Amino acid sequence: MIKFASPLRALIPVLVVLLLLALVPLMSPSNRFLSLAISAGINIIALYGLSVLFGQTGILSMGHAALVGVGAYTAALLARDFDIGFWGSIPVAGVMAAIVAAVIGIPSLRVSGHHFVIMTFAFGQLLTIILTNGGEYTGAATGLDMQQPVTMFGIALDPLERFYLLVIAFVTISAVASWAIINSSYGRTLRAIRENEKLAAALGINVGRHKIGAFIVSGVFAGVSGVLLAYFLRHISPGQFASFPSIYLALMVMIGGARLLLGPLAGGILVSFLPEVLNLDPVQSRILYGVCLIAVILFLPNGLIAGIADGWAWLVKVSKRAQASGDAREATR
Amino acid sequence: MSAILEIKGLRKQFGGVTALSGVDLAINEGEILGVVGPNGSGKTTLFNVVTGVHKPTAGSVTWKGKDITGIPANQISRNGIGYTFQQAMAFPGLTVFENVQIATEHSAASARTDFAWPTPASLLEFVGIPGLAREKAGILPFGSLRLLGLALALATRPSLLLLDEPAAGLNDRETAALVGLVQQFPGHGISVCVIDHDMKLMQSLCKRLAVLDFGSKIADGPTADVLHDPKVLEVYLGGEL
Ligand SMILES: Nc1ncnc2c1ncn2[C@@H]1O[C@H](COP(=O)(O)OP(=O)(O)OP(=O)(O)O)[C@@H](O)[C@H]1O
Ligand SMILES: [Mg+2]
Repeated sequence: MIKFASPLRALIPVLVVLLLLALVPLMSPSNRFLSLAISAGINIIALYGLSVLFGQTGILSMGHAALVGVGAYTAALLARDFDIGFWGSIPVAGVMAAIVAAVIGIPSLRVSGHHFVIMTFAFGQLLTIILTNGGEYTGAATGLDMQQPVTMFGIALDPLERFYLLVIAFVTISAVASWAIINSSYGRTLRAIRENEKLAAALGINVGRHKIGAFIVSGVFAGVSGVLLAYFLRHISPGQFASFPSIYLALMVMIGGARLLLGPLAGGILVSFLPEVLNLDPVQSRILYGVCLIAVILFLPNGLIAGIADGWAWLVKVSKRAQASGDAREATR
Repeated sequence: MSAILEIKGLRKQFGGVTALSGVDLAINEGEILGVVGPNGSGKTTLFNVVTGVHKPTAGSVTWKGKDITGIPANQISRNGIGYTFQQAMAFPGLTVFENVQIATEHSAASARTDFAWPTPASLLEFVGIPGLAREKAGILPFGSLRLLGLALALATRPSLLLLDEPAAGLNDRETAALVGLVQQFPGHGISVCVIDHDMKLMQSLCKRLAVLDFGSKIADGPTADVLHDPKVLEVYLGGEL
């Protein structure tokens, strides 16, 4: 029998990190810190969807924030017009974002990958235009306000510590869902498409359908992330889902690395906190992001986490070899 | 003998280039048919058109009595036609085991329940690379990559295997091992059509040979007869034969 490392080995480090992050409120962090952490977490939920799309299937979306926007606006409209709260919005927003992903994906994924990148980018712009021109219904350029807080078992979750824990819970669910996809036969099918489309088709895989499927799956994560964003910010407007936020998402997933489960976590945290830690203004932080992106693409094409893992493996190998040659010298003496 | 695959009047043009100009060819159940011909004579194109990699310009392909002309590649595979590419290929970033696992997971399992190699492990065992299961396919030596390609095609549980130059780039020992594998296929209900330039290999594998030249079939019959056909000798000008 051929034995392989258990897939749990990939999940456990992520769960440990998330457990530690869940303890952060015990250290009474500042509100500023919690807010940043919550935004990072909300992004990370969408990143776990992008990791299925980009990491497993090899397709890059440059308009992903628009799908987050679909989720956010769905939540805001459900609350305003139907009195449906947070928990009811989660499934509806997931489905809505999935439907929109299908609508973009079906015409554009039948063609090539480059084509798709442009289509997603154009779609991001289009959604902003639609929302801005939606009149009263979408609140035009001003956007929409959220009135209700998130409650669970009658407890309001709007104090930042509680909302933070809610986000950590959703990040955990996203990470586990992404892990389950990666380790299923569906995940293997997506990787086969990433590695060699022609061979995948020859083995009976419907390449076009699965690419669209992966985009739809990533849309569900984006939709859920949008609901959390709407309830966190209490106010949403079209600009939040335009091209810059989309580029940030792509940046986070590339910097952290899309193939390993720790990647989205690392990318989301780094990109959110780096400007804060280094005390940069928005212009400086954009320059930093640009430099980071170029550096990652050139030196760590599979992202930071994969780079660290490779570096570690290399060190282990080198030290083993050094030891072996040392032993050999010892033996000849 | 009955034809399992019937190709009629198959034409393929790439812009001004006529790669196939009306080829008729039948592959019989249980045989190992060889297809030879000079470079650029249309052999690979013939496979590509049958397997849905390219759509034919004209002509028809009938599989077990059903018209399958121009259907997409993934459905061809699900109908029980497996093939290996002239450029040996796999999923380079995945392990050898995962490669075969993916192929097994997409086989139309319902089609053949009696299949001799139902699991990834049994396939790797059969082609002789079980020890490489954990390696990334991208680092395999060429001979092993060809064997992996064969395992992948076989994993789809085909009733017909199309092999495009399966021995190209293999050394004598590897070629002999490959011949040993291919010869077992008919006994397992898998008909074979194989392209190769190596006439010694073709003589040892195929009882029947078809010859393509400039997109047309110029000979088709028992191997020994075809190899003495004046038209065939003229094409090869006494070179490779
Ligand atoms: N995708 C393509 N686009 C344009 N022309 C093509 C394409 N594929 C094949 N051809 C042309 O069709 C003709 C037949 O090529 P094919 O690859 O079928 O030959 P072959 O018999 O397999 O040759 P070889 O023995 O070198 O593999 C050649 O002239 C080739 O240039
Ligand atoms: Mg060829």
